Amino acid sequence: MNLNEHLPALLLAVPLLGAFTAPLFSLGGKFLRNAALLAATFLTLVVAFLLWRHVSAAGVAVYVMGAKSAALTLPSGMKFPIRIILEVDAFSAFMALTGAIASFAGALFSLNYMNRFTGLNRFVSLYCLLTAGMLGMMVTGDLFNFFVFFEVASIASFGLIAFWRDKPEAIEASFKYALVSQVASMFILVAAGALYGKYNILNMAAMGSVLTLGTLEKVALVFLVGALACKCGAFPMHMWLPDAYAEAPSGVTCLLVAVSQASLYGLMRVCFSLYGVTLGSSFLPWVIILLGLASMFFGVSMAVVQHEIKRLMGYHSVSQVGYMLLGLGAGLLVLPDPAALASYGLTAISGGIYHMFNYTMYKALLFLTAGAIYYATGTRDLNEMGGLAKKMPYTTFMFVIAAAAISGLPPFNGFVSKLLIYESVFAIHPALTVVALLTSVLTLASFVKVFQTAFLGPRKFSLSGVKEVPSGMLLGMTVLTVAIIGASLFPTWTLSHLVEPAAKALVDQGAYIGAVMGGGM
Amino acid sequence: MWTKVFTGFGYWDVVSWILFFLIAAGFMKFIRSLGRSDYKKGTDQDEIYWSGNPVPEDGSDITVPASSAYWGFRKALEPYYRALTGMHTGIATDIVGYYILIVALMAVLILIV
Repeated sequence: MNLNEHLPALLLAVPLLGAFTAPLFSLGGKFLRNAALLAATFLTLVVAFLLWRHVSAAGVAVYVMGAKSAALTLPSGMKFPIRIILEVDAFSAFMALTGAIASFAGALFSLNYMNRFTGLNRFVSLYCLLTAGMLGMMVTGDLFNFFVFFEVASIASFGLIAFWRDKPEAIEASFKYALVSQVASMFILVAAGALYGKYNILNMAAMGSVLTLGTLEKVALVFLVGALACKCGAFPMHMWLPDAYAEAPSGVTCLLVAVSQASLYGLMRVCFSLYGVTLGSSFLPWVIILLGLASMFFGVSMAVVQHEIKRLMGYHSVSQVGYMLLGLGAGLLVLPDPAALASYGLTAISGGIYHMFNYTMYKALLFLTAGAIYYATGTRDLNEMGGLAKKMPYTTFMFVIAAAAISGLPPFNGFVSKLLIYESVFAIHPALTVVALLTSVLTLASFVKVFQTAFLGPRKFSLSGVKEVPSGMLLGMTVLTVAIIGASLFPTWTLSHLVEPAAKALVDQGAYIGAVMGGGM
Repeated sequence: MWTKVFTGFGYWDVVSWILFFLIAAGFMKFIRSLGRSDYKKGTDQDEIYWSGNPVPEDGSDITVPASSAYWGFRKALEPYYRALTGMHTGIATDIVGYYILIVALMAVLILIV
């Protein structure tokens, strides 16, 4: 048996197995339950890495569920694929690897963080289910299955956000998230149904090969873009996000950051691989660019005035998603123009994709440091914090790394992706770069405030008993810190091995379609 | 070459920046070493000066809370912040309403243009 062939399916099977066996392992006690969570997320990370390596070497990987051969996309001379197909190109593999890193780091952190609570067998199940849903969204080649994984991730998220169900705020945050998620899900289902009704296909590659832009396709596109932009936290559809991120346990928030990127991945997959150059007018790319600008600026404006640490970081998530929308929207704008695409479009897309990785790493780390502070002090209110640097030196160090990276300070990785976005969108209009730069300045101002009020200053009597968090939590944060430092010290390697292949795969609609439509007997 | 990022408009080199920070750190260390080390520890020379008043023992009494940070910035942009925070009602139907509004707007515009 060729293991490489089955990696796409294994990527989903491992976390699903973790989710369904967690209650069984929990019968064996705390150790077995924790071991199951760690093993499931670590194995998922290993599979994601192997899959990324395989796709980098051999090109797009296709997995047909239930077929005689995993690559048999068009059996018996059929014109279109009918089975569930997983399709993993360099972009999907890159995103899956990014998500798997965040999932593992969050799990490692949660071992100690969640230790003092009950109901952890449910926690482990939902955590693994959320990981499976997120990865499913990233590797599925089928529009309906994208909806299914979207729902799996959403439902697991509702449970995890409301995990501390004795807190009314957590229930409220989960309810708001559930409401907006379900409306968004319905829009995705309606769009998928409408396209299926017209083309009799659900496979995205096959649909991309025959899709022409008419009224129905335009409305379906808007439904898909609206739903996915809402789920990744674009302004003004972001309002569920600060509540949900703030109230979820921090290990979960770490994973929710990656899940939001799965929605952004879906948005880009729809725009580039399903519609591609058939988008025709520049209307939708400009909508994405404008959503990006609004998210960046209004998100950071709201963040600056927050004094609850996780809400502040939640608003920064909105702002950071804006950078990615800006970069990817700029790339989409010049997609029909090969000269402009080569000149700056691909750089903008690379910047956007690089920022997706960077954002997942540093924002997940920031949420973990916020969780560490909450664990040690019992508060999320910055007004009640101060002088923590002396008591929590490792957490402080990792917070500084993440804060510098998100603020785009050189030489950190956030600077590199922002630089690529600044310079490429400047070619479209300098005002785009100005807004992006201003957002970066306000991001720095906001994190200076957090650093100054939480970590610096004299010691407070109320925090006299505070000490550094347990090693398991530090290890979870270290995984992400190492990823940030690695991407900062080796930006060229990261770009040439991870980001640029992903960007090229995203714009190569022909290869995405060909991997499925050229796979007959 | 493994540290240089080419943007299409120029390049950025991580090693140059790290070298810059190391040199800057060296200068800072040098300037700090020029300070006097012969002060008397444990005396008034070692105390915080707090406008001639005794320094409160609890740090809470002498720190500016986070909610007061950038007070001038917020005051100067008060109308902007009033509008922006006014949008964030936290009411679930408002959240869904904004979503529906944006999708409806996009749907109408994409059919016109």
